[in-house]
Amino acid sequence: MKNLNSIFAAYMIGWGVFFLFFVSIVKRTNDLRAEVERLKKTAFKEK
Amino acid sequence: MMKRVLFGVVAIGLVACAAYASFYIAPEERTMGAIQKIFYFHASTAWAGETTFFVCFLANLLYIWKRQPQFDWLGVTCAEVGVACITVVLITGPIWAKPVWGIWWTWDARLTSTFVLWILYICYLLLRTLVDEPDRRALLSALFGVFAFIDVPIVFGAIRWWRTQHPAPVIMGGPGSGLEPTMKAVFFFNVAVMHVLAAFLIMERYSLEKTKHDVELLQHQAEAR
Amino acid sequence: MALLSNAAVLLGKEVRTEFRSRELLSTTIVFVLIVVVVFSFTFDPTTNESRRFGPGLLWMAFLFAASLMLQPCFLREQVNDTLGALRLAVSDPFAIFLAKICANTLFLLLTELLMLPVFAALFNVSFGAQLPGILLTFLLGSLGISVVGTALAVISAQARMRELLLPLLLLPLLTPILVVSTEVTIGLMQPEPYMEWKGIGLMAGFDVVFLTVLWLFGEYLLEE
Repeated sequence: MKNLNSIFAAYMIGWGVFFLFFVSIVKRTNDLRAEVERLKKTAFKEK
Repeated sequence: MMKRVLFGVVAIGLVACAAYASFYIAPEERTMGAIQKIFYFHASTAWAGETTFFVCFLANLLYIWKRQPQFDWLGVTCAEVGVACITVVLITGPIWAKPVWGIWWTWDARLTSTFVLWILYICYLLLRTLVDEPDRRALLSALFGVFAFIDVPIVFGAIRWWRTQHPAPVIMGGPGSGLEPTMKAVFFFNVAVMHVLAAFLIMERYSLEKTKHDVELLQHQAEAR
Repeated sequence: MALLSNAAVLLGKEVRTEFRSRELLSTTIVFVLIVVVVFSFTFDPTTNESRRFGPGLLWMAFLFAASLMLQPCFLREQVNDTLGALRLAVSDPFAIFLAKICANTLFLLLTELLMLPVFAALFNVSFGAQLPGILLTFLLGSLGISVVGTALAVISAQARMRELLLPLLLLPLLTPILVVSTEVTIGLMQPEPYMEWKGIGLMAGFDVVFLTVLWLFGEYLLEE
């Protein structure tokens, strides 16, 4: 197939961007969940 | 939680089907050859991105009117997903253009206004990082979002007029124009699939924004004690 | 009409304030001059090249100058909360915008008109008979820059990094003005000058659209 490299690069990079975006959402969500746990523990300790 | 995982699996499955259809069902284009297949991914992502920005615009208007935080969350969510979509468009477009037309880029109306659209929504996201107070941030970014969305068709019109003064290579005709029926069907299938993918990403990003809001509330309660 | 009379009073205040010190105008004029001179080092200006590149450089200089000039527009109203006082003084908050837009347009126009003969001399272009056309182009362009710039000045005044933020937000939004006004000005500086009426129409359309958007949403920009 002519220009196979270009087709492959386009699809891989395109899906890569979406995948990285999804991974960043998951990471930020996990960081926030850890922050929630930390805040709940602080509140529990004070009580 | 299960529903979200299922939605994600369905979205990925559909993306795989769309790729299969693009490569094995759609016939090869006569002049460009196989590289034309990038068009199915590129153009459908562009449509999904534009729909996402339109939803962002509606969310901005609704926030200005109703002042409910959910509309602000939807606005920033759609802006981020839209920027991701247009990033893909701006990368896949030149990869397609270079082997076919010998140039990475040209300043025609569609490419230029897409680039400006991308920059405007990056500015929208940057603005949000620079305003600390949540209500102010929501209102100011909503107002900027309205300005930005209204500007894009004007940019398109201005560049198109400018191009009548300085003709340049036209990278492609309108999407779906002059497409053979099978190609058209595969294209619109890709459009639908990219919208499903965008909807999944919006859903995930929205729940992150909601969690952020809950954390901010907890932080305020902790500071109040 | 209360809106227009309020705006006229506030416009008088803006103009009087500026002409007392003239610091905004003088720094803007010098900045435009510096930008034009610095840009001219980036290419070797024969008369033909000057006609092709010159107007673009001129309008870029105007845009950069405007993005700096519009900073103090609402920043100065934060001192002693004069913006709060203004809001109370007028029945329609759009009057505040109208006054500031007119003032900013006037200051930009003055800068542009002062720069025009300097530009013509430095780049060996003549425009004598085209002065009305150039005036119209400058007016519509400055109005467009002022309308969008004034609105964004309110936004940037309430954010951090405001010195960077205003140009960041303003320049992409003003792409149509830059493109169209450059093209119209190029046409007017040709050996056989012509007037691009379609371009004038586009600029007028831009001004009307954003003035309308500002009229609809301006009060939310000024909310406390």
